[in-house]
Amino acid sequence: MSLLLLAQGIAIGLVNGALYILTALGLTLIYGILHIVNFAHGEIYMLGAMLVYVFFVVLQWPLALVFVAVVILATLAGLAVERGVFRNLRGQWMQLLVASVGISLIIQSLSWIAFGAQEKNVPSVLPGVLILAGVRLPIERLAAAGIALVLVAALYWVVYRTRTGLAMRAIEEDEETARMLGVNADRVAAIAVALGFVLAALGGAFVAPIYSLNPGMGLEAILMSFIIIIIGGLGSITGTVLAGLLIGMLESLGALVLGSEAAHVLVFVAMIAVLILRPQGLLGRA
Amino acid sequence: MNSNGARIAALLAALVLLPFVAPPYALHVAIVVLFNATYAAALYAVLRMGYLSLGHAGFIALGAYTCVILSVRLGVSPWLGIPAGGLVAGLFAWGLGALTLRLRGIYFSLAIFAFGEIVTALFRAFDWFGGPAGIPGVPRPAFFGTPLASHFAFYWLVLAVAVLGIGVLYRLQYTRFGATLLTLRTADSERLAESVGIPAVRYKTAAFVVSCMVAGMTGAVHAQYLMFVNPQVFTFLTSTDLLIYAMVGGLASFWGPILGASLLTALGEQLFSVGYWKTLVYAAILMIVIMLLPGGLVDLPRRLRGLRKAAPDEIAAPP
Repeated sequence: MSLLLLAQGIAIGLVNGALYILTALGLTLIYGILHIVNFAHGEIYMLGAMLVYVFFVVLQWPLALVFVAVVILATLAGLAVERGVFRNLRGQWMQLLVASVGISLIIQSLSWIAFGAQEKNVPSVLPGVLILAGVRLPIERLAAAGIALVLVAALYWVVYRTRTGLAMRAIEEDEETARMLGVNADRVAAIAVALGFVLAALGGAFVAPIYSLNPGMGLEAILMSFIIIIIGGLGSITGTVLAGLLIGMLESLGALVLGSEAAHVLVFVAMIAVLILRPQGLLGRA
Repeated sequence: MNSNGARIAALLAALVLLPFVAPPYALHVAIVVLFNATYAAALYAVLRMGYLSLGHAGFIALGAYTCVILSVRLGVSPWLGIPAGGLVAGLFAWGLGALTLRLRGIYFSLAIFAFGEIVTALFRAFDWFGGPAGIPGVPRPAFFGTPLASHFAFYWLVLAVAVLGIGVLYRLQYTRFGATLLTLRTADSERLAESVGIPAVRYKTAAFVVSCMVAGMTGAVHAQYLMFVNPQVFTFLTSTDLLIYAMVGGLASFWGPILGASLLTALGEQLFSVGYWKTLVYAAILMIVIMLLPGGLVDLPRRLRGLRKAAPDEIAAPP
């Protein structure tokens, strides 16, 4: 019985970890390329989920159209923020961070005003529970976890196998030289930010049927994402994957042993431990 | 310097005499302005050395809860709760600062943000800390047997704590120690400072501890003023409010954040009840200032005079 409980805990931990990865991925991308911590990331995630509610539940659009609309809107938002704000503050990390906090506050307060505090629910698209050797897993969560892994693979492909990805890494390495060699840095930065926004919005969209939605969910998401990227190493995709799975496991196993409140403290303790032992994060560069 | 001193003395005299002329509501606004100005000055001490705290409210909450738990749960005198709040906040700042101030600024910002969120989550999680509802019935200190019950009486306590806090931070900035901190803002000059024997991390940690002690001490008095505390009082939005005060006021001068805090608090208290409209307006003002007036309000006169010289940008530091 207790072995089964352990197996259940590990399974839930891995699935939740995959959802955390999904949430943090866009943040890692934008930091990895541009060294900007996009604080508005959590709000884009929240908007992604809220838009699914509006398009799918209120307007009853077909699911495919809902996702196309979310991706298009997130792309436009990313381009607008990069062009209107980030580009003008390049190289000033403090102003960039404060500005992204400002954007986050504007989106958050507008959302509270527009959507209200009432929790929104999106009905399950994939109901049912998978039972594997006694371990129970909701199919919805499993599917979202699978999508997270697909998006990680897609991101690897973009960053390491395409010309745009090569240009992104070149800018990360040495922007000035990259510009001299003909890389259109502004364009690449715009693509990176738009891609980060799309990842954030998709993260929110895929978890919309799993969680209750409210305009405060972005702040919770960004908290977890920050802890994950600190543990994994800022800007490292592999680090984000590793830290997401670790935190998911730590939380679910910690909850089994100590209760769910204490498990939150455990996550914070893990962050402090990493800051003491390996301050640049598990896979970060010093 | 002399006329500056005279101006500060005149301002202090006006503040001391304020309760005799101001109606209770204006006193309430003045008290909130004093709290926020002190918090903003505390945040400035950290911003000035090139670090951005996104969780100062966590240290304010630590001070507030320390004072409340001591006086309500353990029956300790509210007077003792004030320094105790500062001490506990300072202790946590010491531990966290020693860890994160070794790293580039962004790690500090993220870790302090996480800390601030965890602190309120913990106060919410455990019933002994009051849970989601918080702890009501917080006693105010008594002065020679008379509790400071009215705005009229309590105002002077707030003023005293604000003057103490802001005074310490002001003095700190103009010591050798405060001047040294300025050299630690960029990685290059920090390395240079270390090469001549300045223990950079210890200096930065000390400044962070002082900042958080002032925040915690003021938070303790804040809780006594409200006569309750709960996890919703000092949240991430408090931290961002402080940041907005500082950026809107301007970082080129010690008085910038205090000016920003005073103006925006007075505006916020007048125009909005607690709500998201206030956050929206504050955030919109923040964005306008960052994009169009990077030096903040203290930079405005220089701009209006049309001087296009390079700004005396005390703060901007590379990552």
